[in-house]
Amino acid sequence: MDILIQNIITGVATGMVYALIALGFALIWKSSRVANLALGQLVLISSWFTYSMLVQFKFPFWLGMILTIAFAILLGWLIERLALRPLIGQPILSLIAITLGLAYFLEGFTAFIWPQGQGNLPKVFPQTSIQIGPAMIQQELLWAAVISLILFILLSVFFKYHRMGIAMRATADDQLAVQACAVPVNRVFSMSWIFACVVAAIGGVLISSIAAINYGLVETGFKSFSVVILGGMESFLGCIVAGPIIGLCETFGGSQFGSSIKEVIPFIIIVIVIMIKPFGLFGEERIERI
Amino acid sequence: MLKLNNIEVSYLNVVKVLHGISITVENGVVVALLGANGAGKTTTLKAISGLLRIEEGEINDGTIEWDGIRIDKKNAVDIGKLGIVQALEGRRVFEHLNAEENLLVGAFSRSNLKDVKADLNMVYSYFPRLESLKHNIAGYLSGGEQQMLVIGRAMMAAPRLMMLDEPSLGLAPMVVDQIYDIIKRFNMDRKTAILLVEQNVRVALNTAHYGYVMENGRVVLDGSADYLKGREDVKEFYMGISASGEKKSYKDVKHYKRRKRWL
Repeated sequence: MDILIQNIITGVATGMVYALIALGFALIWKSSRVANLALGQLVLISSWFTYSMLVQFKFPFWLGMILTIAFAILLGWLIERLALRPLIGQPILSLIAITLGLAYFLEGFTAFIWPQGQGNLPKVFPQTSIQIGPAMIQQELLWAAVISLILFILLSVFFKYHRMGIAMRATADDQLAVQACAVPVNRVFSMSWIFACVVAAIGGVLISSIAAINYGLVETGFKSFSVVILGGMESFLGCIVAGPIIGLCETFGGSQFGSSIKEVIPFIIIVIVIMIKPFGLFGEERIERI
Repeated sequence: MLKLNNIEVSYLNVVKVLHGISITVENGVVVALLGANGAGKTTTLKAISGLLRIEEGEINDGTIEWDGIRIDKKNAVDIGKLGIVQALEGRRVFEHLNAEENLLVGAFSRSNLKDVKADLNMVYSYFPRLESLKHNIAGYLSGGEQQMLVIGRAMMAAPRLMMLDEPSLGLAPMVVDQIYDIIKRFNMDRKTAILLVEQNVRVALNTAHYGYVMENGRVVLDGSADYLKGREDVKEFYMGISASGEKKSYKDVKHYKRRKRWL
């Protein structure tokens, strides 16, 4: 019984971190219908950047975080400016291919700047475990879950009520009509990439302060794909619901079938979801009036 | 006042579409742009609103002036901020947004939230139907409702010139009359100039004060709405009324073509 509750709590909390990274994917999809395949690499590079700031340059934590966010903003802006903007108006497949190229570029670039391949961030959260009922849970996982939840609420409110958020959703529907309403689409796209990079950076810092920085982060990015596919590509709610589901499947699968199966489970879920519910749990269905 | 002076437009630098168009839209006036398919009406609107460049079109020659400022080199966003708004052809609502969100996107460039709120109520007073549908997803509205939404969205920009591209497209005659009534009222209440592109010549000339007839990228005829309604050529070619003033029946259709007098 204790093990069961333990597994549930760990699974949900890990899933919330996946959900956080998945939010970064949903953001870009929501405003431009581009699938960002460089998700894990964005997490990787911003984690390494934080590592440089905190470990190599020994900046205090708050300064390191501010610099990391600034780096993420710059990164998002640069990516949109240099890689995506020249392709505006081209078929969506070219845009997705560019994000794939970006993924490999970022991975190579990271290996070039930080060749050590493995690093540890100083622990940000208290290391003690806390007792929830009969189960013990690492406090840092809980903190990560709480931060994911806060970001989810902030982003949802922004996209539902803010002028820019509404315009960003409109841009996904009709890029020409939105320009007829004097919405600067360039700014919409660069904002969505900046947001996504910031979210990825926050996710990166959370994960790598819990575990370690290595290429496994790229894989975490891939796991977040299964979150967005299960939750529905553009739905923040989908991310926050599907994240824990994936997390739970992983922990339970791991405890039932051993840890080698654990890694595969998110991808099995992708296949099953695409077969039976292609729009995901909360995804927007394509509107077809008959 | 909007003034197009002899503009020439080509797409991809190859296909020449407009061969020197000159049009004037005075403040507070409804002007109709008439003509067959492919005459260049929509291109003219896009040249004014700056949407042309997004579709790889370019103004090669001529000038467009808005209150004495040249706008033919400006981009769509800047032109929108100067008070010119275009409602695109074909009811292009933002499908996944609800009706009210659609209207709010129309007011994107305005920062005074109080005015936006007031204009939202103004749009609902012109289109009471939209108020009851404001939480519905726009993609599931009927054609007439979507067209109302698109016009309402253009109104939300508080424009000084509203350009409407075929608001009657694909709508039932009754809905067309309703929409044109509202366009007329909006023009009278707010003194907003309106530039209409329309295939439905009868409706357009009943609403407009002035009209231009376009053919193959040229303006071939212009004049006050009453003058155009009286022209034999317009009657024959665009309204389907023969010289005797009666509606033509297919039974006694002439087998030779009347030559257009303006060519």
